[in-house]
Amino acid sequence: MLTRTRPLAPASPAGDAPPVIETRGLSKRFGSVAALDGVDITVTAGEFVAIMGPSGSGKTTLLNLLSCLDTPSSGHYLLDGIETAALDGAAQAVVRREKIGLVFQQFHLIPYLSAVENVMLAQHYHSVADRDEATAALARVGLGHRAGHLPSQLSGGEQQRVCIARALINQPALILADEPTGNLDEENERLVMALFQELHREGRTLVLVTHNPDLGALTDRVIRLNHGRLEA
Amino acid sequence: MRRLLLVKALTRRNTRVAVAVAAIVMGAAVVCALTSLYLDISIKMSEELRAFGANFFVGPPPSQTTGQRGIDRTRLAEAIRTLPAEKLVGVSPFLYGLVRLDLGNAVLAGVDFVGLRKNSPYWQVEGGWVAVDFDERNAMVGRRLAQSMELKPGDAVTIVNGDRSFQTKVTVKGIVESGEAEDDQIFVNLSLAHKLLGLDGRVDFAMASLVAQGAEADALAADMNRRLPEIDARPIRKIARSDGQILDKIEGLMALVALIIVIITTLCVNATLTAMVAERAPEIGLQKALGATDRVIVVQFLTETAVIAAVGVSVGLVLGFALAQVLGHAVFSSWVGLRVAVVPLTLGISLISALVAAVVPVRAAVAVVPARVLRGE
Repeated sequence: MLTRTRPLAPASPAGDAPPVIETRGLSKRFGSVAALDGVDITVTAGEFVAIMGPSGSGKTTLLNLLSCLDTPSSGHYLLDGIETAALDGAAQAVVRREKIGLVFQQFHLIPYLSAVENVMLAQHYHSVADRDEATAALARVGLGHRAGHLPSQLSGGEQQRVCIARALINQPALILADEPTGNLDEENERLVMALFQELHREGRTLVLVTHNPDLGALTDRVIRLNHGRLEA
Repeated sequence: MRRLLLVKALTRRNTRVAVAVAAIVMGAAVVCALTSLYLDISIKMSEELRAFGANFFVGPPPSQTTGQRGIDRTRLAEAIRTLPAEKLVGVSPFLYGLVRLDLGNAVLAGVDFVGLRKNSPYWQVEGGWVAVDFDERNAMVGRRLAQSMELKPGDAVTIVNGDRSFQTKVTVKGIVESGEAEDDQIFVNLSLAHKLLGLDGRVDFAMASLVAQGAEADALAADMNRRLPEIDARPIRKIARSDGQILDKIEGLMALVALIIVIITTLCVNATLTAMVAERAPEIGLQKALGATDRVIVVQFLTETAVIAAVGVSVGLVLGFALAQVLGHAVFSSWVGLRVAVVPLTLGISLISALVAAVVPVRAAVAVVPARVLRGE
């Protein structure tokens, strides 16, 4: 069972909005290598934040910790008020399906399921798969007419929008996107970013990992990492 | 959604699934065939061994004190009635005596021709058997006796009793060759033998052919001896004991073959499932990233394995039964019956084999680290 904990930080950067992400001294070591070293970040509800940095700066490690796909070596991570750092695998899975929507650079759609069935998969693990709701989510990203198509029948941009619809379907507290436009052409990059901005305007909390400064400029705030530490 | 995932996951990988199903079909078919044979083999073996002759003796006790020869025919009939009808293949009384034929003396045996024929399937007969047990006009003659008396099927021969008080003419219906003492005897209907030998209502002993192995035959003999103390019943050891020993060895060999096939099947299914899990690692990683717990992944893969096993066992049972018929005909020249016990036994062994085969692949699926596989590692 997930329990809520009191916030660690005194205040969020966005003022009165409650923190969705709050880390204190978050570290991850792989053997003797510190991939992440004492990171303190706070992302409040409704914020659109970019995490940027050069290769090897710890962006992916941080994203894995924020998405509960990995556990920190030390430190604290409160997600929507829940201390996740000490959760076991099963509890982490519950947090992922209840609180987080993930958007991947490589889309990661199941190739033998249609677009709508890929969206329904996230519903299935969260609660109950509902084809109508999933179709509506696809319509929301402009793919209502492509619901029955297999991923192989969709363009890269369309696959990424299916991925976004899948991330949105369970109304998560946080959407985490890892280089979501990394495999897209300019036109599709524009479409996907427009979609993220629209979600932001609707009040959703988004964290975007990117190395592209132009995308970072479209967010509220950029968190920069270098050698596993926050840049001042 | 669960059903959709199951159906699509299996149908998309039809080659690998087909290999796994084929392996289980093979294993289930062999288990089914050998189990069917195993359950039928005691009957088949007894039938085979009965080709070597009767396997049960019923006669007077060795220390008979009545002063009379042999046993009373009605007591013999009572004794035979103690044997279960479904186990009794044939029975014939024997009454021996010395008679004179046209060209010399011979040992005459009074028998029940119907029972004798069932007891003596290995006898080589030139001409034909006397078809009914009340036929007093025909006789059968042993090969060596026929040669010395210059008899052949269709010839008439006169039989005269010891004190020449009774004689009769019979036709030689068949010449028999057993390779034993019977080759020097002449066989007539028991009633005719009574008249010739003057021993009305008596028989020396009877030989029966039973569908029973060593211990079972012992029990039947003990039961008969208990009920009729004036009777000495016993299985003929040479055949009954070898029957049991051969049976034990064949059953052991079949169990060993079945075990080896099940192990090979398990390894084959294991290799196929392991390859499927490796191929699906990104899919498993995604499912975990979307919130699937390890338990959900375990249930998913075990369900897939169970479906593969169920299809394989269903086909395997049909093929196995067909294989049992082929083996039954090749070894015993007869059909093998379908025993109800074969179905749950094959199902159980095949499912256990498939589940054992799934242990390592399922553990590999549970061990998938989503953060790694989603990065393409």
